[in-house]
Amino acid sequence: MAVVGAAAQGSRRSFLSRLGKLWAPIAETQGLARVMLATGAAITFVFVVLALFARWIAPYGFSQYEVDGRRFPQLAPPSSAHLMGTTVESDDVFSRIVWGAQTELKVVLLALVVSLVLGVPLGLLSGYFGGPLDRGLVLVMDALFAFPPLLLAIVIAFLLSSTVGSGVVTAAIAITVVYVPQYFRVVRNHVISLREETYVEAARALGAKPFTIIRKYVFFNVVQNVPVIGTLNAADAILTLAALGFLGYGVQPTEASEWGYDVQRALSDATTGIWWTGLFPGLAIVILVTGITLLGEGLNETINPVLRKRRFVKVVFPERGKVPAE
Amino acid sequence: MSTSGTSLKTYALTRLALVVPMVLILLTLVFLLMRVAPGDPISAALGGRVPVSVINQIKHQVGFDRPLYVQYGDYLWGILHGDLGTTITDRRPVSSIIVENGGATLELTIAAGIIAITIGVVVGLLAGRYRDTWIDVGGRMFGIVAYAMPVFFLGFLAQLFFGVYLGWLPTSGEASPITQAFLPVHTHILIIDAIWARNWAALWDIIRHLILPAVTLGIVIGGIFIRLVRVNVIRSLKDDYVEAARARGISERSVVYHHAFRNALVPVVTVVGLQMALLLGGAILTEETFNWPGIGQTLIKYLENRDYVGVQGIIVVFALIVVFVSLAIDFVNAFIDPRIRY
Amino acid sequence: MQGKLRFLLVPAGLAVAALVAVTAATARTSASSSIIIDGTTDTVTNIDPAGNYDFGTKAVDFMIFERLLDSGPGKLAPHPSLATGCAAVGGLKTWSCTLRKGVKFSNGDPFTSADVKWSFDRSVKIADPSGISSLFTNLKSVTTDGDYGVTFHLKHAEATWPNILTTPAAQIVDHNVYPADKLLPSTSPQVGTGPYMLSTYTAGQQAVLKPNPNYWGPKPANGGVIITYYTKSSTMKLALEKGEIDMAFETFTPTELVSLQKESGITVHQGRAASIRYFVMDTNRPPTNNIAVRKAIAYLMPRQTIAARVYHDQVRPLYSMVADGLPGHIDAFASIYGRVPSKAKAAAVLKAAGVTTPVNLQVWYTPSHYGDASADEYVEIQRALNSSGLFKVSLKTAEWAQYVKTLGSTKGLFQLGWFPDYVDAENYLFPFYPKGQFLQNGYSNPKMNALAVKEQGAKTTAARLAIVKQMQVLAAQDVPIIPYWQGSMIAVSRNNVQGIDKTLDPTFTMRFNLLSKS
Repeated sequence: MAVVGAAAQGSRRSFLSRLGKLWAPIAETQGLARVMLATGAAITFVFVVLALFARWIAPYGFSQYEVDGRRFPQLAPPSSAHLMGTTVESDDVFSRIVWGAQTELKVVLLALVVSLVLGVPLGLLSGYFGGPLDRGLVLVMDALFAFPPLLLAIVIAFLLSSTVGSGVVTAAIAITVVYVPQYFRVVRNHVISLREETYVEAARALGAKPFTIIRKYVFFNVVQNVPVIGTLNAADAILTLAALGFLGYGVQPTEASEWGYDVQRALSDATTGIWWTGLFPGLAIVILVTGITLLGEGLNETINPVLRKRRFVKVVFPERGKVPAE
Repeated sequence: MSTSGTSLKTYALTRLALVVPMVLILLTLVFLLMRVAPGDPISAALGGRVPVSVINQIKHQVGFDRPLYVQYGDYLWGILHGDLGTTITDRRPVSSIIVENGGATLELTIAAGIIAITIGVVVGLLAGRYRDTWIDVGGRMFGIVAYAMPVFFLGFLAQLFFGVYLGWLPTSGEASPITQAFLPVHTHILIIDAIWARNWAALWDIIRHLILPAVTLGIVIGGIFIRLVRVNVIRSLKDDYVEAARARGISERSVVYHHAFRNALVPVVTVVGLQMALLLGGAILTEETFNWPGIGQTLIKYLENRDYVGVQGIIVVFALIVVFVSLAIDFVNAFIDPRIRY
Repeated sequence: MQGKLRFLLVPAGLAVAALVAVTAATARTSASSSIIIDGTTDTVTNIDPAGNYDFGTKAVDFMIFERLLDSGPGKLAPHPSLATGCAAVGGLKTWSCTLRKGVKFSNGDPFTSADVKWSFDRSVKIADPSGISSLFTNLKSVTTDGDYGVTFHLKHAEATWPNILTTPAAQIVDHNVYPADKLLPSTSPQVGTGPYMLSTYTAGQQAVLKPNPNYWGPKPANGGVIITYYTKSSTMKLALEKGEIDMAFETFTPTELVSLQKESGITVHQGRAASIRYFVMDTNRPPTNNIAVRKAIAYLMPRQTIAARVYHDQVRPLYSMVADGLPGHIDAFASIYGRVPSKAKAAAVLKAAGVTTPVNLQVWYTPSHYGDASADEYVEIQRALNSSGLFKVSLKTAEWAQYVKTLGSTKGLFQLGWFPDYVDAENYLFPFYPKGQFLQNGYSNPKMNALAVKEQGAKTTAARLAIVKQMQVLAAQDVPIIPYWQGSMIAVSRNNVQGIDKTLDPTFTMRFNLLSKS
């Protein structure tokens, strides 16, 4: 009902303050949901900082093998000089982790932004207007959705790796193709159910144009789903990127540092007792994905009405016989 | 979607009819992707050894340089006859690849699926029932971290720990080389073949090899199921009929087990089917890690060699499996719930 | 209470059954002690000899088929196998071979000249993309001379035709079994004259060889071979350490080999191989069209660093395209450019030519076809060139299938490797320098072409090798290609496997029939 009230005053409230309304459920969280949200946000924040400030945080470049003309040792265990040891190419593992965060962030952001820009509007239009456009799009999206996502990503990365020089862009495109159908589906389904709502019908009866209805009533409702899916997709995107790197189709080592590729190179090291080249990138993947997922789960708990727990303000009954002060 | 239900028959027919264009789109997509890709199997095999003129001559001999639409027509015609093509690099009919290697992937995905569902349902139910207690927290964290682990990382750690350090389990393959060499093969699903031959030692050997890969993949996929089952349990525990049952004085235990859980599991069936795609994708990585001779590993090999016939054939089969499984699940759901028919 | 106990019975029963089965399973495997289990990361294409030319298939085929002449073990010059002798008949355009009598195929069919003619004719006719019938471009026809004589008529003189007869392309098959115009499927029973028969073959999983009862030569030293195929060397290493396989041939990473060398139950056998790695430069496009640039790179090539750091001395620096150990090899590049890199000389040659430094270079390599260490190799080359201050190198990669499609037509500087078709110096020069070279790097020198023709028509071995040396010197002077390392043939086995050292030689053939297990 709160949404209807807001919609009724739609023309008078600014865009920003309505976005602010979205924030309300988060402010009301309590207990476990809040802890998850906070932890997830904290972990994600740490990695974002690593990514943004890699140049200042990482002691060396991602493929730097020497300093002041002195080569780093090859496959050296963790020490004070190299916090997480060195790789087979004499690169510092810790630096590669930090620079790797930047690679992950680049790819994931690129993939998410493009997926959103493509998937959400398509879902809105398709869900609202229906008709042959809708049916056609649904067919294509379902076909894409039917593909095991990793498979699709592998094939696309493989094909694009020659024409598109940059592995980062290639991986981003591969992931985008996999996730656009997801956003499309969710948005479309939500729009379809919203379409039947009474207040939307009322707006139509009042003569509101379709785009106005979408803009004022539908969009903000639907967009509430997006952050949750967005975080879960970000988590998936990182796992897909790592899988591509593991299979050798993602970012090439000469271009940037990528955790999945490092794990793959480290597999043969591990059987020889060299654990640091593989464990740290692997842990980085696990921790970052866990953080983003916690963020998503926390958001899900707060926004999803099924799971949402409202903070109950305890009702205080005044003592009998006394009139409460006004 | 309209709220008035149509008959099941109409729904079934409509749904089937929609499958055809979808499959066509998939086939065309795969065909285009592989042919448009730079690089071809013949150059891959002979390049770096012979002059380009020789390579071009062989390409012509094999019919590789025919116009694209001719090759496309051949391709579709072949599929209509059930002929998915024969690979270029090692002359295997795709249908026999599916039969020979499909058994291994089937073994792996079914075993992993069973483990994933068990983990998901058990932990999810407990987490949902005891919401916000440490059981819930523990279960959810386990689910989240399990899914966050790349399956190749977890697999490799498992190999090192259980295979090398403890020495309990073998680290790769579907069976030990000797077992595999002497077991008569009928169905290519080694567990069934071992039972067929009444070879119990071989059966045990095969099961030992199956444990690490299936558990690895099962844990990772199970992580997702935990969350989904949990959400459904919470939702159904809030339902009115559950309140009503409690009001009638039925014990909490009975309410939970007999009413809420059963209804919570219904949408899980749908979810499990939809996760088939995820299971197949995860199977590819697991097969690479454990040298499991399934279709996923074979696909990776053909991708590397640009053997477009092999890649096409396998991708199409993967996609068809997913399409038909989701079709089956839609039918089941439509049967149960008239609201979701067209 | 009763219910709970009942539930305990089932898992307890299962545990007991499991224990029994475990002991039974371990007891069984010790019975098959004379069969050698080999692991490999190589792959098999088609077992039919007309349809393959790769190491993975060669390992299987060389045990079930034979050739008229053989190279090795030990001595490299072609010596009798299915033929008791081959000689040129009046000029080097016609070669006549006398065949061995009394040889039977594994199915009992007698071996005659008809089989030889059949095998060569079908190889040329089928011209399979995965095969190497292009080795027979010089073959005009094959004629039989009774049941035990065969004559090869060539289009032009070729002194090394006997070497061609030792290659996998020239394997002899039963004319009753193999179709004349298409390949026999790998799952059909294969029939050859070799020491083993192919008992079963499961694509991508294993090949099982059992001794051939009809073999004309000495019996194999073991009861059979099972070749198990792996996709990752790390998985294969674990299997070898656990004893799931007895040996592994092809291919471990350098780091894995170093670790295996330190393990007590395992021996790493290393012998000189004939495979090489080289660096190709385009001679038509800038900047490498300027010979000064190419010479400068030759002065800077970090052979020692690559051999020591990247490959832990499992490869050796190479100073000529012809592999070391072959008759006719000279260290041509060492004579002209020195054994170790020299920044001073590189700078000098660029200055003398008036080239402004640093020169921008785009260097290509392929990340997995030649092993993952390629990445490390090229990082070292990049580092060496950059740190001289004379070059600025950017590295680019492409997967093998598309890498190999364009070679020199789109790449200015790139990596390639070579393993010989047959072990002779000729096979290290002809594919790269004279007319008909496949590199597409624009190199063409009439002097080189003339030397090539002379080499093929040389009447004595000494004369031929003298020309081979001249070709190497010219190759180093023109420097369109820089060779930088020569590999080793490496096999790793558990300590109870004997005989591997007998079969390590430049022919790169694992002769399983010489191996035994104690």
